[in-house]
Amino acid sequence: MASPLLAQQGLKGLARSRAPQNSAPLAKPPVRTTASSRCVQQLPIAPQRQQPLQRLVKAASAVLPETEVEKGGPGTEYANGSVAKVPVERIRNFSIIAHIDHGKSTLADQLLLKTGTVAARDMVEQFMDSNQIERERGITIKLNTARMKYRSKRDGQLYALNLIDTPGHVDFTYEVSRSLAACEGALLVVDASQGVEAQTLANVWLALENDLEVIPVLNKIDLPGAEPERVIREIEEIIGLDCSNILKVSAKMGLGIEETLEAVVERVPPPKNTTADPLRALIFDSYYDPYRGVVCQFKVMDGKVSRGDVVTMMNTGKEYQLDEIGVLAPHKVQVDTLYCGEVGYLAAQIKSVQDARVGDTVTQKKNPAATALDGYQDIQPMVYCGLFPTETDDYQDLREALEKLQLNDAALKFEPEVSSAMGFGFRCGFLGLLHMEIVQERLEREYNLDLITTAPTVVYRCITTDGQELTVNSPADLPDASRRESIAEPYVRLEMVTPTEYVGNLMELANGRRGEFVEMRYLTDSRTTLVFNIPLAEVVTDYFDQLKSRSKGYASMEYKVIGYRENDLVKLEIKINGEPAEPLSVICHRDTAYKTGRQLTSKLKELIPRQMFRVPIQACVGVKVIASEAIAPYRKDVLAKCYGGDISRKKKLLQKQADGKKRMKALGKVEVPQEAFMAVLKIDRDAKD
Amino acid sequence: MQRYVDTLLAEIAASRVLPGGPLETVFFGGGTPSLLPPELLARILEALDARVGLAGGAEVSMEADPGTFDGPRLREYMRLGVTRLSVGVQAFQQELLTACGRGHNLADVRAAIDAVHEAGPPSWSLDLISGLPGLTPDMWRESLQEAVAAGPGHVSVYDLQVEEGTPFERWRRAGRLALPPDDAAVEMYGTASELLGAAGFEHYEVSNYARAGHRCAHNQVYWLGLPYYAYGMGAASYLEGRRFTRPAKMRPYEAWVAELAARAAGGVELPLPGDCLPRESPEELLLDTLMLRLRTADGLDLAALAAAYGPAAVRTVTAALAPHERRGGVAAFDGEGRTASLAEATFAALKSAAAAAGKGPEPLPSLQAAGSSGAGAAAGASAQRGAGEEGVAGSGRRGPRVRLADPQGFLLSNDIISDVFAAFDITESGRGQAAEEAGPAAALAQA
Repeated sequence: MASPLLAQQGLKGLARSRAPQNSAPLAKPPVRTTASSRCVQQLPIAPQRQQPLQRLVKAASAVLPETEVEKGGPGTEYANGSVAKVPVERIRNFSIIAHIDHGKSTLADQLLLKTGTVAARDMVEQFMDSNQIERERGITIKLNTARMKYRSKRDGQLYALNLIDTPGHVDFTYEVSRSLAACEGALLVVDASQGVEAQTLANVWLALENDLEVIPVLNKIDLPGAEPERVIREIEEIIGLDCSNILKVSAKMGLGIEETLEAVVERVPPPKNTTADPLRALIFDSYYDPYRGVVCQFKVMDGKVSRGDVVTMMNTGKEYQLDEIGVLAPHKVQVDTLYCGEVGYLAAQIKSVQDARVGDTVTQKKNPAATALDGYQDIQPMVYCGLFPTETDDYQDLREALEKLQLNDAALKFEPEVSSAMGFGFRCGFLGLLHMEIVQERLEREYNLDLITTAPTVVYRCITTDGQELTVNSPADLPDASRRESIAEPYVRLEMVTPTEYVGNLMELANGRRGEFVEMRYLTDSRTTLVFNIPLAEVVTDYFDQLKSRSKGYASMEYKVIGYRENDLVKLEIKINGEPAEPLSVICHRDTAYKTGRQLTSKLKELIPRQMFRVPIQACVGVKVIASEAIAPYRKDVLAKCYGGDISRKKKLLQKQADGKKRMKALGKVEVPQEAFMAVLKIDRDAKD
Repeated sequence: MQRYVDTLLAEIAASRVLPGGPLETVFFGGGTPSLLPPELLARILEALDARVGLAGGAEVSMEADPGTFDGPRLREYMRLGVTRLSVGVQAFQQELLTACGRGHNLADVRAAIDAVHEAGPPSWSLDLISGLPGLTPDMWRESLQEAVAAGPGHVSVYDLQVEEGTPFERWRRAGRLALPPDDAAVEMYGTASELLGAAGFEHYEVSNYARAGHRCAHNQVYWLGLPYYAYGMGAASYLEGRRFTRPAKMRPYEAWVAELAARAAGGVELPLPGDCLPRESPEELLLDTLMLRLRTADGLDLAALAAAYGPAAVRTVTAALAPHERRGGVAAFDGEGRTASLAEATFAALKSAAAAAGKGPEPLPSLQAAGSSGAGAAAGASAQRGAGEEGVAGSGRRGPRVRLADPQGFLLSNDIISDVFAAFDITESGRGQAAEEAGPAAALAQA
């Protein structure tokens, strides 16, 4: 727990799963009882369920004097009335928590339609996912907020509902936690035909840690495969939420949308009214806009903020005068002042997202708050890889593209890397594999760069014989064995949720990847959670693919870094044609070095095309060759005939061959295709010897 | 057959004829043209002569498969104008003929050779297939010796290509195809070059050998990038810079001809098949040139390349070829036909290009010069005039040039040419106009 990395992850609830009452197999998870319980784990199994919601609403409604009408205060309207200011007790800030494909975006779209925030004709499907890559992958990376105007059927009053989106992937846990910190409630959307997944569970925990009121929503109830009773039981038993008044929805068919809006009004507590305090606003998202500079989304936690105010970012210390503040409805609508409880955006010609980081606290320069809000973290990349342009001329373009992406992505780190084999490129750090893939894809797609990517590695810590501690994010940087005292690698706590029948397969998978069994929990009759402590390096490979293939797609996983551990690690060096091929080297455990070496050389033999000469491929630990293969030279590559005047076909074949060559990189005298650099991800780690 | 020829004639009648004079070569190929009754052949040749014109002394080739013709039939064809036969012998071993599912046997092969001798065409080619399943180096040597003994002026050696959708592909996938191993195939390619070379044949293209004066003039048209007509199922034409391949099956072909005829009846000017396609861009033309010429013994004329595409194109090509020169895959010649290093040939070509540019500005180092200025076409035209008559050495003319070495360069031609392709970063931009005069050649294909 004392590990700084763990602290950086901000995973306060992490101890929970280690608590003794949960380690016994068959133990049922605890049931959540109050909205404010910080550590669910310590609660006993409590079958009785309270209804804290109305109590909270009532408690909050006593305050706010409506008489105090200020500029931009309650009653003010903007953008032809599409944005109407309401008193604090009629603000509801909520997010939607859902596993991928469980229908979060569709539900969000329906809420926007039902409240008239977006007209049907303007509705791009899945409005909240605006990035093309997000749409393709069905996940949300950039956050979007939508302020909705809603008149409740219950009391006839006008409410401001702020839907705050959260990124839907484990790589972005920190961003999720900051978004949730801006909310008072969350809709937990569960697919009635699927059930609870590991990721759902993790995000619910984050929500509970932030004291959010979680409202369960059963989606896709219209599907023939829907099993509402089973899924309700899972939500009650696994997550511990009261499902007696669960919302039954088909976002796709537009069923249950109004009930959902009413539930938000009724059950999500209003923000605390601390308008009189000095300003503290939580930045929960920031992105770079070429005209406005960085645009931050924030929630006013205390006090108020107006256009023209000079503010300080409490963690970075930067000061800015606010050019513009407003709300997203979901398009930008400028306002004069934002009060406690409101969610909005600000622009102040901020140069880079590094200067206005997610989690930072905005306060007034004149009347600053005493302390910043909790939960701010510096981001430490977990996974590194090398990015090299296939054309050396593209180096500057790659640098500029990375700089532009960084304006918008505070988690992306990069530094120049020069390799004798690969030429000039960058060593880049990412939050995780998905983050890495997204950045690569954007570089290739949006910046039209052809890249060679080297296999991802985790960040090792190496103690040298002279007592220095080195951070190693590339196998090439690892000192010689003679200069090493020890190497430590990051470990994660991996939770896999699976139907019981695949438990054996997944146990075998994790055991084969140096995983240490922690516990197994039978969540329901048919679903089990397996918990392992496992090196991150083992997860950052084809682990997820294997998990899916061994569970026929039914299992899901979730992991959190828990710290570093010293292990007997070695550097497996690859030599091609006698020359060390640094970009292909890997750090691995001594026990698996032999097997990995053999598989890697044999995979490389498959992937590297035949050359004009015999090419030996060797895997070495130190000076010792532990595996070797050789690629026989090719001597013939000729297509005989240009068919009676029809040369187009032959030309196409040659063009295809030429395109393949453009994506190769010469390691010494040997042309190596792009795939070879990822070979280590493709080897069959689980093959029996 | 009658119906097919009628359709073919309808296509000829409905297609526009471009200026450029009478046809100098005609080729009947694809399928088994030697099944064609002479009277039908007569109708086709008459139609071509009437519509486009047949030059006196034109090369008229016909593919003929053993077992489908005899001496009198060949004499009949020759009387009608056929001057060259391309005899698809394929192999001199009965077991190989059986294995490759050919319709003819060894006796048919012998009879076919006798029939050709009896008819005595001015030129004929004996076609072999290398790389057949079961083929051994010894058998191959035997086939080559038999081929030489048969006395043709031309030998084609095509490597077996296992194409998708053929029985060969199914057999290969089932593991029932014992193709010769790579090393044996390399050896056999070398044997062909050596043995035919010793018998006086020039290895003038990757797959083709000819005695002096017996090169196939029609193939030269393809390889020099000159325009050609085409009529018939699956036939590919290259007119006004557009490459167009006709439907390869009977019904779609008939429908297509009907449509062409309807356009012809409705329009002021007759349609040109494929005229709706874009013309080849200068970039595509450059790739065509590189691919086709590098497969020939005459090779790529660097001075002509510089004139057509600018000096940068020459530098790009030769830089890409340099590693292959070091490995013996590429040979270069100076303007006098003497062996030179690639660097010397490049230097000579660029020097002459600069001199030709005179006092004017240096030609743009781009591909745009390839359009209508037609320097490439001019070089091609002169070569075309010489096609079929050039000497065996073929190296004592034109500018500095580069070719793939025989056999090691030819054997790796795909690798080498794709390296040259890769050196050009050619994108889809700038589809230029490649205005080329339709020239004197026609290809006919028939099922």
